[in-house]
Amino acid sequence: MKSSASVSITRRLVVTVLILELLSAAALIAAITVHEWSVQLEIFDTSLVATAESLMGAVQDTEDEGDNVMLDMRGVRLAKDAVFRVEDAGDRVLGSAGEPPHLETTASGAPLFRNIRVSGRDYRFIVLNGTRIVDPGKANGGVRHSIAIIYGTPLRHVWHEVREAVRFFAIATAFLLGITAALMAWLVRKGLSPVHELAHEAERIGPGDWQFHAPESAKKTSELRPLAAALEAALARLQRSFEQQKRFTSDAAHELKTDVAIVKSSLQLLSMRKRTLDEYGQGLALSLEDIARLESTVEKMLTLAQLEQPAGSYNSSAAFQTCSLRDVIADAVHQSKPFAQLKSIEVAVEINANTDVRLPIDSRDALLLCSNILLNALQHSPDGGTVRMAVTADDDTARLTVRDQGEGISDEDRDHVFEPFYRGDPSRSRKSGGTGLGLSICKAICERAGGSIKIANDALGGAVVTVGLPAKVVASSTLSASLKAE
Amino acid sequence: MRVLLVEDEQRLAENIVAALRETGLAVDHAADGEAGSLLAEQGIYDAIVLDLMLPGKSGQRVLQDLRRRKLHTPVLILTAQESKESIVNLLNAGADDYLSKPFDLGELLARIKALIRRAKGVSTPVLAVSDLELNTVQQTVRRRGQVLDLSPTEYRILEYLIHRPRAVVSQQELLEHLYDFDWEHHSNVIEAHISNLRRKLNLAGTEPLIETLRHRGYRLREEAGSQ
Repeated sequence: MKSSASVSITRRLVVTVLILELLSAAALIAAITVHEWSVQLEIFDTSLVATAESLMGAVQDTEDEGDNVMLDMRGVRLAKDAVFRVEDAGDRVLGSAGEPPHLETTASGAPLFRNIRVSGRDYRFIVLNGTRIVDPGKANGGVRHSIAIIYGTPLRHVWHEVREAVRFFAIATAFLLGITAALMAWLVRKGLSPVHELAHEAERIGPGDWQFHAPESAKKTSELRPLAAALEAALARLQRSFEQQKRFTSDAAHELKTDVAIVKSSLQLLSMRKRTLDEYGQGLALSLEDIARLESTVEKMLTLAQLEQPAGSYNSSAAFQTCSLRDVIADAVHQSKPFAQLKSIEVAVEINANTDVRLPIDSRDALLLCSNILLNALQHSPDGGTVRMAVTADDDTARLTVRDQGEGISDEDRDHVFEPFYRGDPSRSRKSGGTGLGLSICKAICERAGGSIKIANDALGGAVVTVGLPAKVVASSTLSASLKAE
Repeated sequence: MRVLLVEDEQRLAENIVAALRETGLAVDHAADGEAGSLLAEQGIYDAIVLDLMLPGKSGQRVLQDLRRRKLHTPVLILTAQESKESIVNLLNAGADDYLSKPFDLGELLARIKALIRRAKGVSTPVLAVSDLELNTVQQTVRRRGQVLDLSPTEYRILEYLIHRPRAVVSQQELLEHLYDFDWEHHSNVIEAHISNLRRKLNLAGTEPLIETLRHRGYRLREEAGSQ
């Protein structure tokens, strides 16, 4: 959290919302300012008009005989610091206060407003043209006097009102922002609590405890559900493979310990007392056999371990090697001949004589694959039975099937038979089943080559192992032609 | 003494059987859990050596079934998995001892003998009845300090009797505990061995150590020879 690169969703959200709020508050204040200004100005103007009209009303007939007019200021209330001038048509000043500027009057007679600076202060003036009629009751309709009134008061008041309004809104906004920020921080933190709970739950996972159940709160949060589900699934997968590893290690240890126990007991039995030369000879021969078995177990384990290494690290040249499936099968059949003869089992191979299938596998691996499957079939065949091997191929895949006439495979075994050290029927034990690594090695070879291996029950009884491998089919004639060319 | 070995690993079983027989024990071998259970529950064994990973029926279950039938034959477990938990479970289930593979054959023999001894209420390898002394480790017999030269079968009969002083041991019991199924045995064989043994044990002027109780069997007398 302290790293400078770390990003806090809470902080980011709060800051974003606050900035947005601030911007809208600024826009609001600007709008309020404009509005307030126009409202205040209208009020101001109204009062200007009222005062100017009361000035107009103050123009009275003089007491003398002439038709002159005068300004009677009684009853006229002027605003503070107001300046005015009342003139008649002859530019005769009827009355004034301060030093109002000379302003053009309009012909229309509508009031005219002007903002002018007078002696360092902003004033707003109204220019009002009016007509006073003296003695309207007379026969000639009275004497008409055109009167021009210039009246102004400082604008300061408007400014003041606007400023007050803006200040009020600014303070209210700041207060609201503060409350929002606190509320947001609290809400966001509360909203993110499923994340913390998920992290807390995930923190408990260790090598000893793979159990992971996403907390309910995380499962209920739609944004977190995929993460929680992915975590659960990933951990379940990890746990499975971890347990598989553990089982492999424990099975391997069991296997090795048993083999070592045999060797050790053979030698200790031999040395329990003095024996004849013959007895020593026999004992040593047996011990050697026991050691050979230990050796083969170790070798198979290493083969499996190497095959299960990621591609590339093992036998890197194998990627470019191919081998002929037909040759490999012939080798495998030849290798297992003694065992087949011992059980009087016939091995029948069906393969198209006109084509050959090239497998992208190292020939040693291919031989291991074929002979392991064949050996497995022989082991499960009754004496005097037949094991059938058949190859079919299309453009890019080869299919090898090996059928025995044994007891078939149970559903339970089918799921586990390719697991290391798995021995289907426990009563078969090590005597017949070898180490239980053969089929695991087959599976590893197939998977490395991008192929597959399956075991199923044959409709005619017995088990059938099917291997699918990527392959290239070559017509035998072209093959021999190319061989000749070399 | 007769021992049952339940072990599915053929070569290991062969070696253990050979070693046990060389120390003078009668041994039967069962290669799977079911056969092992069947044999063990006959109650004719003085000790059972039981592998855990067995085809058919696990060693654990063989042991449980044995104890459920109230058979108290001492059981030594052979195991290749040695997690503390499983060992504790086994001992709690009624096992008397255990050895992890790969084990020492000599240690296995010593432990089996100790188990047999303790099951018969004896805690030292040297057993004595009045002036007769039997060393189960060296397999020697002395009377009044004098070493007696006994054949293996005679030694085994005496060893069995000395483990059960004052008790009447029938011919049938002797047959069951001294011979395994691989040996041909007839009751008159026992009679012949007993009479040889009695002759070798006898010293002039003492009453015979081994009494014969007609139709019942034999008994080793504790106070024999005390003047």
